[in-house]
Amino acid sequence: MLDVQDIVTAYGKIEALKGVSLAVAEGRITCLLGPNGAGKTTLMYSIAGVLKPRRGTIRLGGVDITGQSPSAVVARGLALVPENRLVFPQMSVAENLEAGAYQRRDAAEVATDIERMYARFPRLKERHAQLAGTLSGGEQQMLAVARALMSRPRILLMDEPSLGLAPLIVEEIFRIVAELNKDGVTIFLVEQNVHMALKVAHHFYLMEQGRVTFSGEPGKLAEDEVIQRAYLGTSRQTSGDTTSSHKPG
Amino acid sequence: MVALDLAQNTLDGLMVGSSYALLAIGFTLIFGVMRRLNLAYGPTIMAGVYLGTAAFISLGAPILVVLAIVILGASLVGLYVERLCFRPFGEGARTASMVASFALWMQIEEAAMHLLPRHMNPFPALVASAPLEIGPLMLRADHLVMLAATLLIAGAATYLLARTKLGLAIRAVIDQPRAAAIVGIDVERVMMLTFVLASAIGGIAGFLIAATDAQVTAMIGMWATTKGLVAMMLGGLGSVKGAIAGGLLLGVLEAHAQWFLGPQVRDMVAWGLLFVLLAFWPGGLMGAKALDRTMAVGRRV
Amino acid sequence: MDGFLITVLSNIGMISFVALSAYILLLSGQISFGQQAYFGIGAYVAGIATVMWSWPLAAALVLGAFVAGAAAGLVGLVTLRLSGIYFAMATLAFAEIMRIAAELFVYRREIGGIETGPDGIDGFRDIRYLFANDISPFQSCLIVYALLVAVLATLFIVERTRGGRMLRQVGEDPLLAEVNGIDVMRVRIAAALSAGAVAGLGGGLYAHLLTYVEPRSFDIMLGVHALAYGLIGGLGTALGPLLGVLIDIGLLESTRVFRGYRMIVFGGLVAVLLIVRPRGLLDEVAISRIRQALRRWRHAGD
Ligand SMILES: Nc1ncnc2c1ncn2[C@@H]1O[C@H](COP(=O)(O)OP(=O)(O)OP(=O)(O)O)[C@@H](O)[C@H]1O
Ligand SMILES: [Mg+2]
Repeated sequence: MLDVQDIVTAYGKIEALKGVSLAVAEGRITCLLGPNGAGKTTLMYSIAGVLKPRRGTIRLGGVDITGQSPSAVVARGLALVPENRLVFPQMSVAENLEAGAYQRRDAAEVATDIERMYARFPRLKERHAQLAGTLSGGEQQMLAVARALMSRPRILLMDEPSLGLAPLIVEEIFRIVAELNKDGVTIFLVEQNVHMALKVAHHFYLMEQGRVTFSGEPGKLAEDEVIQRAYLGTSRQTSGDTTSSHKPG
Repeated sequence: MVALDLAQNTLDGLMVGSSYALLAIGFTLIFGVMRRLNLAYGPTIMAGVYLGTAAFISLGAPILVVLAIVILGASLVGLYVERLCFRPFGEGARTASMVASFALWMQIEEAAMHLLPRHMNPFPALVASAPLEIGPLMLRADHLVMLAATLLIAGAATYLLARTKLGLAIRAVIDQPRAAAIVGIDVERVMMLTFVLASAIGGIAGFLIAATDAQVTAMIGMWATTKGLVAMMLGGLGSVKGAIAGGLLLGVLEAHAQWFLGPQVRDMVAWGLLFVLLAFWPGGLMGAKALDRTMAVGRRV
Repeated sequence: MDGFLITVLSNIGMISFVALSAYILLLSGQISFGQQAYFGIGAYVAGIATVMWSWPLAAALVLGAFVAGAAAGLVGLVTLRLSGIYFAMATLAFAEIMRIAAELFVYRREIGGIETGPDGIDGFRDIRYLFANDISPFQSCLIVYALLVAVLATLFIVERTRGGRMLRQVGEDPLLAEVNGIDVMRVRIAAALSAGAVAGLGGGLYAHLLTYVEPRSFDIMLGVHALAYGLIGGLGTALGPLLGVLIDIGLLESTRVFRGYRMIVFGGLVAVLLIVRPRGLLDEVAISRIRQALRRWRHAGD
């Protein structure tokens, strides 16, 4: 569904992505793990069209979307739950959801979708008239997810949705991720919470210093081994029963 | 009869202040989406008004045609300013953007001088009827038209922002530009449309003020920039309501100051109030609640 | 040297003071629309000192710079908490208040049988110190440049000290500077004070070289031009603002190639230049390249 080939993205002279390749299969939950500063957010923004890659190609459903504007990428059915939520703080919860449906022309359907979101996130319904900036962190995260869903995406990118949230809310977020996936949404998830991520993911990638260093399936590798590889920097000696999909960069 | 003077001044001030309010609305919209100051806003208006005046002088265009030319001219020049001073610059180059708009200010003024070299030019008058008398108070009919037009445009702008899809997009861009892009709003297009909209509103303000004076001078560009800026700042940046309040307050204040203290002190009072407000009460008329937001926006310029 | 050339050179020199003044504030991260106020204060104070109090020129210039600097420091106390557009507007408001105050300011006395002094909107005429003391235009031009070089030298030295680095740090990221233990407010007030004094010095020279100063001499146009010069010439070095002045006054105004179309050409050029180089011709990158080239050249010479 999403196919990233050899992407290089730089901030000025510094290359944050040094040739990243990975694939997200349709209907599945794919997870991207990696330490702080690995380039996960940069990759998310590159896919969503917010940052323009220097090299490489990104295909979505077989169509080349490299370097296209964010609005064109949204039109192709991709939605992003950005790092740090980025809700519209001075707009109400309801208006945030409307903004999420900005590209849709079916006003009546949008209204029913908003009701659906309220059913899924009852807290948002209670607070529909409240300014989003005054919501709690967890509520803002739900709003960010709901806002992304309002565009009826075929694929949902989520950048650290559990960041800074209490364990109970983290569980809720992951429950929602699994539910969404059951409803047929393809999910590409960035997480620091390896434990939770591996519980829901069908496939995962490890990223380090702008490169994919490992890729595999959760069941086949013990969790602490993944943590070891992801965060303690031993992943370079790639081995084991999984295929490494990264290209030599 | 100080009470009568006060009442008459307030009335006159509200009328003139309504043109300031229009200028401030335009400024606020541009500032909101761009987070940068457009110093060429006044000259953009001047360009529109001068084109209309030229059509009036050389072709005898009727007043409604002049109005159309003013709006169209201001919108096109606004587009030119956006292309050259705002679109090419990213978040990191706000000062460059502002200085570029100053450069275009100089450019547009000189071009206008080539179009109409005289300092003062005739402009079609709005309504030529005698002033209305309400008891002891006098009310100029053209001033009433100006106030009505302001209320109409302010209402339309508020409706547009609150109820339409473009309005939602504009507010989203003002609120959180990156998120606006992420949800699929074409941010550049929204910026461009806002620019054209603000320039058109400014053009109407310029038209109204020139038509009530039945003349236009070369100072109109500078006038529009400074009055609009002061009114916007008095209103506390970033809301249509604040812009209207700021504009009306500035008008009333100037009317009193002019009557009691003379024209030079009038201008000094407006700047003095702005200075005191900024130094001691930077939230403007909208008060402390709006402060956090506007400070955060304003600081980043 | 012919008279026209001397006049142009003197003008470039005097306007450079205001441009440097705006540049100092830009370094501290603040955009001022109001440095012309201190130019005006310096001009009036220095003029009054020589004409009405018969002070010598040097003392008058020092007084003008001192009063302008003090005023800038005081204004800074209440405005420097602000930033961005708020600061810019506060400085503009102050400058406009000063300009209108000058329009209302009348202080006339009989000196040597002739009534003289600031006369409201007509300004302050017959500041004839240079003429009365037989100082030729060429000599006055030399005075301007001697002082300009002195100011520049001071700036260059300061930029290399801890204070200068603190100034750039405050300009780049005030929060980080605060964290690093820099007293941001103090650095900013020091910057505002020196910026005011530099503008005041330029104003004092201006009043004496032109023999008059009027409120219109320091309106918003001067202030925004001063700001623009720094951005055109470049923010990487104190020579940047001077380059900006040189391009505008030296090249465009004085050569008269584009007479009547100067602003159309200049405005367009500046806008395009800023797109290509948002921090001016001599920006930080350009300066470090030039330094490297110089170093290499010096080594090659060894
Ligand atoms: N706007 C920027 N300008 C310059 N460098 C940046 C910028 N954003 C990110 N970087 C750098 O790019 C690299 C990758 O950053 P990125 O935010 O993509 O990491 P991440 O994997 O999302 O980290 P985290 O887990 O902390 O969110 C880092 O070294 C970071 O310092
Ligand atoms: Mg990240």
